[in-house]
Amino acid sequence: MTDPTVAEGWVAAPLRRLMEDARFISGVLLYPTGKAVGQFGFTNAGDVMSVCALTSAINASARELGRQLDGKPFYEMHHAGAERQVFMARCTSGGQEFLFVGVFDRESSLGVVEIYFEEFQKALIKLRPDAPVAGIGPSGDFEGELNRSLDKLFGPLGR
Amino acid sequence: MNTGLAEVVATLSHLPGVLAAMIVGAADGLIIETSPLKGGTLGGSDTRKHTAALAAYLYSKVTRASDAARLGTPAFMRLEAEQGQICIVGARDVVLVTIVTPDANLGRVRLDMMQAARGTS
Repeated sequence: MTDPTVAEGWVAAPLRRLMEDARFISGVLLYPTGKAVGQFGFTNAGDVMSVCALTSAINASARELGRQLDGKPFYEMHHAGAERQVFMARCTSGGQEFLFVGVFDRESSLGVVEIYFEEFQKALIKLRPDAPVAGIGPSGDFEGELNRSLDKLFGPLGR
Repeated sequence: MNTGLAEVVATLSHLPGVLAAMIVGAADGLIIETSPLKGGTLGGSDTRKHTAALAAYLYSKVTRASDAARLGTPAFMRLEAEQGQICIVGARDVVLVTIVTPDANLGRVRLDMMQAARGTS
């Protein structure tokens, strides 16, 4: 297991703990705009870029679907594949929303993932810096934001 | 609600010393059926969800260890802690989990859990 790489240092410790405790194979923490905050298990910036773009789009669709079906957005999604499972959830810290998407296999379980994600969310609330992190809000430049966050995670030559 | 599973949980939870009885998905660790936690919540929060997920996870690991040692499927698991015990019995796709006090009649708990597991599987 490799250490997480992060664009914002304060998420490193909770992300590492989530990875280790819930036995995730890979995962990405991002803003709903698609901007990556941290990741583990990926070695290629292009893969993280795809995950961020897809997660952002899935979140937007699921949120609207939840509103229409249940009157409120869904908070969590789980897809169980034959070998691997995908867990996607959103959490808030200091009024800022985050998305997390992670992949696990039979070395973990949905129940275990859920309880450690709860702890992760509590850690984010506790550790969130008082000063707002610059550049979170949507600037209208989705691709540029995504690329800049990937540069922070993998370096400018990572793509 | 599945009446059969609810009956199993109700029967186990009425045994002396049993604080809570749960039926948990073996693969996902999620609670399928549970009794209320007697004596309120320990430490101020309801620990059943955490206990269920980790007990099912532990049982899966112990099953692997037992297989590795060529002992077959574990019949009964008991985790003894300072302030109580957790008992786990596997029944195919589910695991039965009880949280019991240190002075509970473990023989009775074990017998009834194993009988319940045979009825559940």
